[in-house]
Amino acid sequence: MRKAHGGGPGRPERGTPAGPGDSGASERGAGSPDGPISRDRFRRLYERLLSLYPWAFRERYEADLLQVFDDRRREPRFRGWPGGVRLVAFLLRDFVTSIPLTHGNRNDETRWERMMSNLLRDLRYAGRMLVKDPLFTAAAVITLALGIGLNAATFSAVYGLLLRPLSGAEQPDRLVQLYRKWPGMDRGSYSIPHYQDVRDRSGEVFSDVAAWSFAPISVAADGRSQRVLGMLVSANFFQTYGVTPALGRVFLPGLEDRDPGAHPVAVLGHGFWTSRFGGDPSVVGRTLTVNGRPFQVVGVAPADFKGPLNVAATPIYVPLMEQPVIQPGFDLIHARGNNSLTAVARLRDGQTVQRAGQVMSAILAQLREEYPEQYKNQVGTTIVPQMEAGIAPQFRAAQVKMSAVMMVVVSLLLLIACVNVANLFLARARERRRELGIRLSLGAGRWRIVQQLLVESFLFSVVAGLAGIGLAEIAVHVLSTVRPPMDGPWALSVGMDRTVLVYALLVALATALVFGLVPALQAAHPDTASAVKGEGPRHGGTSRMNKGLVVLQMALSLLLLITSGLFLRSLQGATRIDPGFKDPAHIAMASMDPGLQGYDATRSRTFWDRTLDEVRSLPGVGAAGLVNDPPLGLGGSDGGVTIPGYEFAEGEQRTVDYAFVTEGYFDAMGVRLLAGRAFTLQDDDNAPPVIVVNQRFAQRFWPGQSALGKVVHTAGADRRVVGVVETGKYRSLGEPPTSFMFLAQRQRHLTGMTLVARTKGDPQVIMQRIREIVRAQDPDLPVYDVRTMENFMGTALMPARLGGSVLGLFGLLGLVLAAVGIYGVMAYSVAQRRREIGIRVALGADRGTVIWMVLREGLRLTLLGAVIGLVAAAAGARLVKGLLYGVGTLDPVAFTAVPLVLVAVAALAVYLPARGAARADPMRVLKSE
Amino acid sequence: MIEPDALDRVLPLTPTVFQVLVALADGPRHGYAIAREVDDLSDGRVVMGPGTLYGSLQRMQRARLIEETENPGEEGLHAERRRYYRITALGRAALRSESERLLRAANVAQERLGG
Repeated sequence: MRKAHGGGPGRPERGTPAGPGDSGASERGAGSPDGPISRDRFRRLYERLLSLYPWAFRERYEADLLQVFDDRRREPRFRGWPGGVRLVAFLLRDFVTSIPLTHGNRNDETRWERMMSNLLRDLRYAGRMLVKDPLFTAAAVITLALGIGLNAATFSAVYGLLLRPLSGAEQPDRLVQLYRKWPGMDRGSYSIPHYQDVRDRSGEVFSDVAAWSFAPISVAADGRSQRVLGMLVSANFFQTYGVTPALGRVFLPGLEDRDPGAHPVAVLGHGFWTSRFGGDPSVVGRTLTVNGRPFQVVGVAPADFKGPLNVAATPIYVPLMEQPVIQPGFDLIHARGNNSLTAVARLRDGQTVQRAGQVMSAILAQLREEYPEQYKNQVGTTIVPQMEAGIAPQFRAAQVKMSAVMMVVVSLLLLIACVNVANLFLARARERRRELGIRLSLGAGRWRIVQQLLVESFLFSVVAGLAGIGLAEIAVHVLSTVRPPMDGPWALSVGMDRTVLVYALLVALATALVFGLVPALQAAHPDTASAVKGEGPRHGGTSRMNKGLVVLQMALSLLLLITSGLFLRSLQGATRIDPGFKDPAHIAMASMDPGLQGYDATRSRTFWDRTLDEVRSLPGVGAAGLVNDPPLGLGGSDGGVTIPGYEFAEGEQRTVDYAFVTEGYFDAMGVRLLAGRAFTLQDDDNAPPVIVVNQRFAQRFWPGQSALGKVVHTAGADRRVVGVVETGKYRSLGEPPTSFMFLAQRQRHLTGMTLVARTKGDPQVIMQRIREIVRAQDPDLPVYDVRTMENFMGTALMPARLGGSVLGLFGLLGLVLAAVGIYGVMAYSVAQRRREIGIRVALGADRGTVIWMVLREGLRLTLLGAVIGLVAAAAGARLVKGLLYGVGTLDPVAFTAVPLVLVAVAALAVYLPARGAARADPMRVLKSE
Repeated sequence: MIEPDALDRVLPLTPTVFQVLVALADGPRHGYAIAREVDDLSDGRVVMGPGTLYGSLQRMQRARLIEETENPGEEGLHAERRRYYRITALGRAALRSESERLLRAANVAQERLGG
């Protein structure tokens, strides 16, 4: 009978705990000297560690393991703090050394464990292969990293611009934007009274309806005056978006949405608070001078909410009820027909867009009864989910198309990269044929081998993916610094956030499948006998793969290059569209808004008259004038028109875009006068209302007649046409010829205008003088957007230029990759035939004939690929016809230059090695195989 | 009896296996007792944690050097221990063979050292 605690008879017990009366794993009191961690937690931690053992071992011994754990714990050497540390080290060491012991028997492993250990082994092997041939690895990884990285960067831009939900807003998928629908215009803005009625009557479907509009605001603090693009927002604006302030409070619905002018409060945007006020928390409660009036800062918006748009960070928010203060001279509070607001609403839980549409129709019917005059033309309401609304409706469609094109092009680039790498792997698989053949004949499962090769591919892909992400970071950083050449709170929110990273990972995995599967399947080909013998491959399997790659490479490259080429030419065309004014490089512009500085009407008029006079008298200035919204900018208004004798057709738009201009404007811009005259100094408040229209306007409303003397009823008066100018571009370079009308500034006296001056010499000098002239009158008046018209047009051209640069880059990369790929594939296939060539030459064939034969056969494949590529490109071009301006879908340059270049590369790739093979000493060739 | 091939398959014994067999040579023990015995026998140089302990025991059991048995009626602290081990005939033979080998080797060493 063994005594407790073993030891032989007479052996003293060594350091063992108390005797038989002690019970085993009982709980001890809190004050037990058991060590740093409480008994319970430590044991639980150890249990967690045990779960890492193989299932079979654990199932059998878990209780015993824990018991020994308890026993060991009680030993004196493991007591207390140092003992506890020793115990932890002991257990960890025990765990690590016991791993091989516990993974004993294969039959005990579950399926899952066997898969895991296979995977680990494959990964180790793949890692070794990766470092064994650094050149190969570098080539494959760099190629893939380029493809994956550029893909991720493009996706990041597209996502940031189009797909990302509004940052900082709560549940942005429940937000919708509301528009008034007029004939010919689906997305009309809201007026303040209309907004208020909609807000008050739509409680059934919307929990909140808010409205906002951009408002140029002059902010003065600490003696410094700055003009920013702020926002007028309804009092419930922040609540509707679900935004809580970072500091202070936001506006109060119920209080700050009535009594116009009674709430001089402001909320600062986070970025503006940081840049202008240094993030000083004491700014809350301070008084700023906003457009010449004192406003109190009541809060700061949180950092993640930049405003209702993805591309701009709003610097300052002011309540809608302050509109008459912010825009003196325009009372929009009661003007039901003056629409400048964007309305956004939050759907109640359980309500749908359809139901909202019905409710809105009912509201419209009510309003039509109450205000028949104002609503007689409105045909309905458009409701659009916030995410699809975009920056401005006219941009969204073009943005979507452009993004699609970019993604397609960059994906083609990735495909080409994959084909290149697949080829690399194929070549290497051929070299490992012997090793793989042996493994197959020794009984390795074919699937296991394929698995192992796939793991290799995945490892490459992951490494390349990481490198690609790094590349994408750089690219995205560069992209985020792109800004339109127009002063504004631009903040493009593109970045490598989680979504983009996940996308990059998925792309990397998909890539691995694409380039890895083919060589893997090929390598496990049942041609082991000859493989082990070290012979070359039989004709058939390998060559077929090779041929397929050549054709694929050619077709993909052609598709990519032609697509890029078409777009490049189209974008080139965009930059050459005639905007309707002459020589924009010599038109100097400068914008000012004295109204924002608190000038009243008289003072503003005096300022502008004086400024114009002084600018006109500058040497080097030909003509000068004013315009409220320069063409091809981001501003623009339209107004309703009634033409006596003209009946608008059903669904025909009843508004026309317009601008306010002074005398001298058309001369300064170089817009041609076709009939009548431009405005003069005499067209002022005392003279009858006049209007100048463009040719398209004249032809639309009075076809075949002279427009001079005709009457247009718009902007509250009957206006007589005194002049007709040529049709130009007004809102975007790609627009079709549009009606446009010009109203006399001297009959309206807006305060915020842009001065345009035709310069004879260097426009920079003139712009500097303009600044001085303004400063001499008022040093505090901000002057902004001082640039040449050519520079200003950069905004309109930005998509074209940006797209052009990016596509050009992709095209170039694609060309390089394609050329390398084609060269590699063709050269290899010729190298395969070295022996054959050597034999033929040895048998007396003429060198030239042999070379020509090889060349012909090689080119046959290339041409097949070229034809496929051309057909695909032609089909693709038809799809994107809408985006190509100025370029026919079968643009001759793109469709001939590209194939010629590629075929030339392929021919070279065949000719050079073939010549080498034919020239070589046939004896040596025959022996070397 | 013990086939000579069976013996050849398990020899030579690793030090840990040797110690465990010695610990069981004079009677069955449960896991922890074996571990403590090995502690003592090796003068604290071989301290087996739970993982290495049962990992080795499992291996030795598969090699048929030891086998599981019932609690031979011990009480108190050890009453709830379920897993007892005892040495098998093969284990005994292996232990004897190995200890003889070690003894011979030690003797040769001693002679040559001149002691």
